[in-house]
Amino acid sequence: MIRMRRVTKVYKGNVYALEEVTLDIERGEFTFLVGPSGSGKSTFIKLLIKEEVPTAGQIYIADTNINQMRKWKVPYLRRKIGCVFQDFKLLPHKTVYQNVAYAMEVTGKSHRVAEQQVPEVLKLVGLGHKLDAFPDELSGGEQQRVAIARAFINRPPILLADEPTGNVDPSLAEGIVRLLEKINSAGTTVIMATHDKQIVNAFRKRVIALENGRIIRDQDRGVYGYE
Amino acid sequence: MNKVTYFAAETWGSLRKNLILAVAAIAVVAVSLGILGLVVMGWNMFSNMIKNAERKVGEVDVYLSDLTTEEERAAIEEFLVSIPEVDPATVIYKNKDTALQEFKERFKDQPELWEYIDENPLPNSYELLTKDPKDVGLVVGEINNNAPYRERIEDIKSASSAIEKLENIFDKFRQIGIIGVLALAIVAILLVSVTIQVAIFARRREIGIMKLVGATNWFIRWPFIMEGIAEGLLGSLLAIVVAWAVKVWILDKLIENLQFLRLSLSSGLIAVLFPCMIVGGIIIGALGSAYALGRFLEV
Repeated sequence: MIRMRRVTKVYKGNVYALEEVTLDIERGEFTFLVGPSGSGKSTFIKLLIKEEVPTAGQIYIADTNINQMRKWKVPYLRRKIGCVFQDFKLLPHKTVYQNVAYAMEVTGKSHRVAEQQVPEVLKLVGLGHKLDAFPDELSGGEQQRVAIARAFINRPPILLADEPTGNVDPSLAEGIVRLLEKINSAGTTVIMATHDKQIVNAFRKRVIALENGRIIRDQDRGVYGYE
Repeated sequence: MNKVTYFAAETWGSLRKNLILAVAAIAVVAVSLGILGLVVMGWNMFSNMIKNAERKVGEVDVYLSDLTTEEERAAIEEFLVSIPEVDPATVIYKNKDTALQEFKERFKDQPELWEYIDENPLPNSYELLTKDPKDVGLVVGEINNNAPYRERIEDIKSASSAIEKLENIFDKFRQIGIIGVLALAIVAILLVSVTIQVAIFARRREIGIMKLVGATNWFIRWPFIMEGIAEGLLGSLLAIVVAWAVKVWILDKLIENLQFLRLSLSSGLIAVLFPCMIVGGIIIGALGSAYALGRFLEV
C-alpha cells in the first residue's frame, strides 16, 4: 500500500528530518510509528499527504509515485487518506454533524448521502447521541472521535493518525486506539505516530522506530522500546 | 445544485462578516463605474450636439479687405466657385452695407449697439456652403493657402473652428475621465482584493482543513471569487442607479431646457452602457479576488 524508497527530507538550514527511509506497509496493516519528538514522525505523515515533498527518494501509494503527481491531483490523493491530528482540527462554529458532513460536502457528495452516512459513522465512534453538540462542549476524547469519524467518512484505504492520543485524557486514550483498531479491522491501513509507550506496549502491533530521521527498528508485534 | 447553494451561503456569510470593508469596496466600484457612466453619457450628448450642429454649419465666411479692387474681388469669387468641395450656387457676395443692414435688423431691440456708429466697420464678405459639412476644414485650408490676392482676405470664419476648439476641450475631459476611471478601477480592484485577503485570513483554519479532507483547489477558491464578483456586481448596480438618476433628473432636464444646443442621448446608449457597467463590475470583482487568491492562497 505504501512504499518508501530512500526517502530523505531536508528542511531549510540543513535540518535532516528524514534520512534514507525505506519501508513497505501492506494493505490492512496497523503500524505504530514511534520515536521522541523531532525524530521525523510528523514529516513522515506530511510526506504521505504531499503537504511536503521529499528532498530525495520515491514514495508510492497504491503503486502511484506521488512525487510525480500533478498538483491538481493532490486533493484526490488526500481523499484516499484520512488524517487525524493531535489538535483535532475541528471547526469550532460547526456542530459535530456538520464537521463530519463537511468532509463529504468538500468532495462533492450530496446532502442526502451525508444525512445517511454521517450519523452512521458517528454511531460507530460512539457519538451517535451528540450530533448537534459543538466541539467545545465535548471532552478531548470525544473531539478526537469526531475527528476520526471525519477522517473515516469517505472510507479511505489509508488512515494516518499523528499523536491522536496526545490531547486526550490517558484513561480515554486506549478507547481511541481501539477505535482505530476497529477501523483497521474493516480493511483500512492505519499508521499511528505516537510516543505513548503504554499504548504501544498494550496493543502489540508492528512498530517502526525513528530516531534523528532514521529507522532504527522495524518489528512485528513490537514494543515501544525507548526508555 | 448542492454546490451552488453551498457557495452562495459561504459568500453571503463572508460578506456579512467583513461588512465595513465590503461596503467600502462596493462603494469604490460604484464610484468608478458611475464616473464611467457619466463620462460616456456626457461624451455621447456632446458628440450628438456636434453632429446636430454640423448638419447646418457647412458655412464659411470669407472677409475681404476694404482695399480690395473690383478686379481682385472677381478673381477671388472665381476661385471660390471653382473649389470642388464648395457648392457654387451658394457662393454669395455680401457688401458691407448689406452686412450693416443685417446687423441692425438682428439687433433692432438693442439700438445702442449700432446707433452711434459713424463709419461702417463691417467688411465686404463672401458666404458659401460646402457640399458636405465635413469638408469645411478642407475648404478653409484651400482658401487660406491658394486663394489669389490672399493679402486681401482678412479673415476666414467657419463654425467648425469653434466646434473644433470645443471638441478639443471635450477630448481633454474625456481623457481625464478615462484616466480617472482607470485609476479608480485599479483602486477598486485593490480594495476588493483586500476584502478577499481578510476573508481568506479569517478562514485560514477552515481552508487548511478543507485541503486536508481533499477539497479541490477550485472548491476552495470559488467562494472567494464569488465574494469578489458579488462586490463588483453590487457596486455596478449602485452605479447604474446613480447614472440613471443623473440621466432622469439632470441630463433629460438639460436636453429639454437647452433645446437650442440640440443636446440628445443616443437611443440605444443606455441599453449598451448599463450591461457594460455590470460586466465591468464583474471584471473588477473577479480581478480583485484573483489577485488576492494568487498572493495569499496557496492551494
